[in-house]
Amino acid sequence: MRKWFARLAVMGVALLVVGQGQVALAQDPAAGKKIVRVGATQAVDSMNPFLAVRLVSTSIHRWMYGFLTVPDHKTLKPSPDLAESWSSSDDGLTWTFKIRTAKWSDGQPITAEDAAWTFNKIMTDDAAKTANGPAVENFESVTANGQDLVIKLKNPQASILENPIPIMPKHVWEKVTNIADFSGDQYPAVTSGPYIAVEHKKDQYVKLKANPDYWRGAPKIDELQVVFYENPAASIIGLKNGEIDLIGRLNPPEYESLKGDPNIVQWNQQGRRAAYLQINHGATTTDDKEVGDGHPALKDQKVRQALHHAIDKDRLVAEVQNGLAKPAHGSIVPPMYTDFFWEATGDTKVSYDPAKANQILDDAGYKKGPDGVRTMPDGDRKLEFRFSIHTDTPIEDKLAEYLTGFFKEIGVTLTTKKLDSSKFTEETGVTGLFDIAISGWSVNPDPEEVLATHLCSRRPTPSGEGGGTESFYCDETFEKLYQEQLKELDRPKRAELIKQMQERLYTDAPVIAIYYTNDLEGYRKDRIKSITSVPEQDGILYGASSFWPFYSLEAVESSAESEEGGSSAATLIAILVGGAVALGVGGYFLLRRRKSVADDRE
Amino acid sequence: MTAPLEAAEPAAAQAAGPAGDDRPARHGVLRYALTKAGGALLSIAMVIIATFFLFRLLPGDPVRNLAQGRNMTPEQLDLERRRLGLDKPLTDQFFDFVGQTLRLDLGTSYEYKRPVLDLIGERLGPTLLLAGVGLFIAVSLGLWQGTRAGWRPGSRFDRFSTATSLVLWSVPTFWLGLLLLMVFGAWLKIFPSRGIESVDAPDGFGYVLDVAWHMVLPCLTLVGVVYAQYLLVMRSSLLDEVGQDYINTARAKGMRDDEVRRRHAVPNALLPTVTLVFMRIGFVVGGAVTVETVFSWPGLGKLFYDAISVPDFTLMQGTFMLITVAVIVMNTLADVVYHILDPRVRSA
Repeated sequence: MRKWFARLAVMGVALLVVGQGQVALAQDPAAGKKIVRVGATQAVDSMNPFLAVRLVSTSIHRWMYGFLTVPDHKTLKPSPDLAESWSSSDDGLTWTFKIRTAKWSDGQPITAEDAAWTFNKIMTDDAAKTANGPAVENFESVTANGQDLVIKLKNPQASILENPIPIMPKHVWEKVTNIADFSGDQYPAVTSGPYIAVEHKKDQYVKLKANPDYWRGAPKIDELQVVFYENPAASIIGLKNGEIDLIGRLNPPEYESLKGDPNIVQWNQQGRRAAYLQINHGATTTDDKEVGDGHPALKDQKVRQALHHAIDKDRLVAEVQNGLAKPAHGSIVPPMYTDFFWEATGDTKVSYDPAKANQILDDAGYKKGPDGVRTMPDGDRKLEFRFSIHTDTPIEDKLAEYLTGFFKEIGVTLTTKKLDSSKFTEETGVTGLFDIAISGWSVNPDPEEVLATHLCSRRPTPSGEGGGTESFYCDETFEKLYQEQLKELDRPKRAELIKQMQERLYTDAPVIAIYYTNDLEGYRKDRIKSITSVPEQDGILYGASSFWPFYSLEAVESSAESEEGGSSAATLIAILVGGAVALGVGGYFLLRRRKSVADDRE
Repeated sequence: MTAPLEAAEPAAAQAAGPAGDDRPARHGVLRYALTKAGGALLSIAMVIIATFFLFRLLPGDPVRNLAQGRNMTPEQLDLERRRLGLDKPLTDQFFDFVGQTLRLDLGTSYEYKRPVLDLIGERLGPTLLLAGVGLFIAVSLGLWQGTRAGWRPGSRFDRFSTATSLVLWSVPTFWLGLLLLMVFGAWLKIFPSRGIESVDAPDGFGYVLDVAWHMVLPCLTLVGVVYAQYLLVMRSSLLDEVGQDYINTARAKGMRDDEVRRRHAVPNALLPTVTLVFMRIGFVVGGAVTVETVFSWPGLGKLFYDAISVPDFTLMQGTFMLITVAVIVMNTLADVVYHILDPRVRSA
């Protein structure tokens, strides 16, 4: 037995030596540089901005490329980026953007030609539409004249100032013959933003260097690295042992596991996501034919209203989200977007009140049976609803438990139905095979996109192809308001219309917002000196629709412990080789001894 | 009296190289190998057909899933469907697929928008490295411990090693990986939490060390979970041999215990293990989905797993075909090798 301990001890020491040696070894090339490593729990899908759709990719592209306009980091209002100023014709159909005088990272001047080429590429090449097709859908033509970019629209569109398309360098990208097959992996990339991508190891990391000639001024760090994790738990460990310096988009348990580490700042601010229940209020296809198997009771607005009254959102926040969210008394736009956020007040507000919920259902004729479960007024079908959630999401399991309890109070039975994500998307977005489903949306500074997911045209086609609806909603009032806000160029007036749309969703209740989850992140304060969120007060670091946090951050210089550089590496290699030899020799003698003992025994 | 000895000796002789007097046997091996290869080709053809229809049964519309969370108009979704050829009738899609496959063109991934063959090529190296080294260690460890344990059943070594391997075998891979990550990554801080290399990995020999350093935990997890099967198979087949007459004969000849085991018992006991090892080699290509996911190892298993959730049909077909073809080829090889190694199979 002693031999076993000895062997284990030797193994342990060897592991320690190997481990420690490599830690120091890996730090060498970074010595004296200011490097920030950001963890991401997904890998880049493409470095070609015409194709990339994952958040990690679009975030990286926001750090690399300029846009016509960007949300202001303080107010989130559209503010100048590559377009230093703009004007529109009286009918709102012709927009002229003046492109600022600046240079691409390869020294070529940035002109309106670059922007015109980018937009025209997307308008004329189907493959280039993959990432941002809808953003040019309303463009009639785009032309360049020196530094002036003229965009002619088919219809007025207020959200043109929130255009999400990065402007690409024409002189580099026009050489790409087939955009669909181009991965964008050409380094160093030619960029106009604060960073230049210099390396991409598939499924591993992307390395970005500061752009010294960035027109706003070079970033205050030398290098930004984005390191991919397939396993969120491992990314937390990576943050704790210093392999990465920042990780965003945490869920409550991950966030709480960072507690107590003196080097880690826990970032808990308001987020951009609204979580809501999607109610099958009578799903239809674009030709208004019914689809799916939703419970008939849910077609009744009163039933939906009663369900809303029965939900104790404060308790959900406290017990399901561990307090790391805000109860939703509005609709699908979270309070972070102060300009567009709408909150119910007075009589409109549906507060937690099971008695009132019971009253509404009693009055509407949904009588309770002997088992305490209500039935339809005109028959004996019970109010038994299915609640569709995703598999492998413990938080949704917990939510289901609470909702089941809440609805039991008003004589409604809720059973949970777990689906894997593709089946879930299919049943709740195309085939309509659900009663109530969990859903949510991360909203952009301009909420047009999320509002559009409740338009009639987004319902599935008669042939069963999904159009991206989040509710199967089709409401005349809502459609009219949507069209009006498109045309309204006056921001406060447009915000008013958008608020009315939210009020409509709130009272008609095809969706019921339950909470706005907080933005949970963590970063190492021994590595990141300062970082500013977007918006500046109470905002987001990673995943915000802005380059600002990672442009303005300040970092601590890499530790000087590896200043000796090469010599320390050599020593380490010597130690490692020595260790390996010692291990081999030791093992040999141990085996020899065993052998002789075994032979003696015979 | 001599029969058992013959069973042991030719096996070793065959492995070293065919003797002069077994021409007919060699001929038999060739014919046997060809029959097996034919069978394998048939299996592969069936896999190609099954792959296509099997994956079409998966729920979910790839276009919609890829669009999820983004602003996509119905017209654009339509366009995507046409671009991916999903608007064509299923039979047309099938013949396109078969034609492409025969030309060794695996198509373009829906999600990555790149040729599937390229995607596989990039990830094959890391997978072979991790799963190959893992398999090698697991087989060596399993055979070594299995031999020791089987030779002296009931000994302290037997009880200890069998129990340990069984405990590890029953542990969920994901959990073991996370446990190792927590102990060595978060607590002792001596091993990295992810990947195959550091972002600022040094060049040359330093790079080799860096990769080795990253491989320790995934390899440990992989070996821990699978080595029990080699140990148990080796142990039980050695147990079968221990009581045989030819072992007693060898002992009676005055051979040392070690020699009896090494020269007589183990070669015979190895036969079932060889089959097992060859079958596992086939699966090496598939990688270890769970281990690759826990340690963010950029391998094939992870690629396949990600493809299922889209579902990225072309990518799934490509990876699945590669994995099944590897398994079929290795199984066929195992059959042939077994045939060479074991004269009893040959004469049957």
